[in-house]
Amino acid sequence: MKKILEIALGIVTSVGGFLEIGSIATAAQAGSDFSFQLIWAIVLGGICIIFLVEQAGRFAAVSGRTIPDAIRERFGFNYFAFLYLVLALVSLIVLAAEIGGVCIALELATGYGFQWWAIPVALVIWLVIWKGTFGVIEKGVSMLGLVTLCLVVGAVMIHPPWSQVAQSALPSLPRHDSVHYWFVAVSILGASISPYLFFFYSSGAIEDEWNEGYVGINRIIATGGMSFGSVISISVLILAAMIFAPQGVKFEHYSQLPQLLVPVFGYWGYWLIVTSVGIACLGAAMEITLELAYLTAQGFGWNWSENQRPLDEARFSAAYMLAIVIGTLPILIGIDPLTLTIFGMALTAATLPVSIVPFLFLMNDYSYVRVYRNGWFSNAVVLVIIGIAFVLALVSIPLQIFGGS
Amino acid sequence: MDLMRDCLDKLLEDGNKRRMGRVDGIILDIEDGSQPHVAYIEVGVKTVMNRVSPRLADAIARLLQGFGISTEPYRIAWGKVKVGLNKVTADVEAEKTPALEWELWLRKKVIGRIPGA
Repeated sequence: MKKILEIALGIVTSVGGFLEIGSIATAAQAGSDFSFQLIWAIVLGGICIIFLVEQAGRFAAVSGRTIPDAIRERFGFNYFAFLYLVLALVSLIVLAAEIGGVCIALELATGYGFQWWAIPVALVIWLVIWKGTFGVIEKGVSMLGLVTLCLVVGAVMIHPPWSQVAQSALPSLPRHDSVHYWFVAVSILGASISPYLFFFYSSGAIEDEWNEGYVGINRIIATGGMSFGSVISISVLILAAMIFAPQGVKFEHYSQLPQLLVPVFGYWGYWLIVTSVGIACLGAAMEITLELAYLTAQGFGWNWSENQRPLDEARFSAAYMLAIVIGTLPILIGIDPLTLTIFGMALTAATLPVSIVPFLFLMNDYSYVRVYRNGWFSNAVVLVIIGIAFVLALVSIPLQIFGGS
Repeated sequence: MDLMRDCLDKLLEDGNKRRMGRVDGIILDIEDGSQPHVAYIEVGVKTVMNRVSPRLADAIARLLQGFGISTEPYRIAWGKVKVGLNKVTADVEAEKTPALEWELWLRKKVIGRIPGA
């Protein structure tokens, strides 16, 4: 019974914590510009993240170590330093985008410009991490994130052509704007296969004191949580395809988001989407902030745990405070959160190989995962994901330049 | 023992399981006519940055010295070191060593001054 509860709670928190500004923006853009045609990109990204999250969780449960921890040990400092610089840069941009997402939600709620909300939002993020425990952030914020399920309800209530939706789960060639089509597809994959997600997950497994007994639970949570999470992203795409695409409306600003739910829920649709965006981005911002501190502390061998007093882990606490300050600056000076989001997703895609290649080695290293090593199927999937990651790395920046409008 | 695999970059703890950092460097003693032997392990930002680039290490050292933080590597005699399966344990008291100087500086000067720390 305890295990069933743990699984249910794990799936619920994964679902609640899945949606973030990148998924929302890229799915809305895909739906408005290409109707249902890019659903396959969310499905593909969802499958990739299920495997990576499952492996990150299995690795932590069996070895008692996180992925960054093992990368430093197994690949040495030079590779870790490269990974750290790349991941820190990308994560800080994505963090800024998430903070921007919360600020946009507050702008929509109050009418005051998003820049004014940058410092209050940063203070809330800091306060929750400063005073809260890992459980508060993981479960509390993710539970609140379940409000994003209103997007799934909305997508069902709008009665999309389900046969067309199902057909779009398979990749298809663009019918117009080829460069932009591939750019949006790459951005969706960048938003779905977020390194912070699986690095945070492996740190969470250590925080929650997982052991070998959690290997099965981890598999169910990773599969269930990430699958349902992808369904929420698909719902955003469906809503955009049903509401924006027929009118020829392009998704170009976050102020258009309420239009996704207003036709379905009326007045309450406005507040549901504002709440969904605000909470989803707040949760993601906290996770990314913590992930940056985890990454730093694990790589350099500092004490780290969100469950300890800040005073007992001064460097860990300083790391997340610094991340919040840097992540807030772009919003404070008025950089458009949507531009930041799209750029962040493309950059994530460009840097994926650096984070994913180590999986292949670590998940086959007996000294870490012993009998829980990857089988041939998991290795084949990781190889395919690495292949996708390299393609994304090669094409994302040129596509950003030529198709990122 | 394979020093690179079993010792370098491994987590370093004191006897009370307090994390001190990672094994950033290993110092070998090489004398004429005898086998080289391990003399010390080193912990410190300058040691680890030297592995990337000595110039970068010097630049970072100068920056940190500006904040009054010593960047001299901390050496622990090999005799006080025990290499385990997943970590290296040193027979020292972490908080009394320079390995945690930065941690203690931040605790005293920054984090400790914030309410609720």
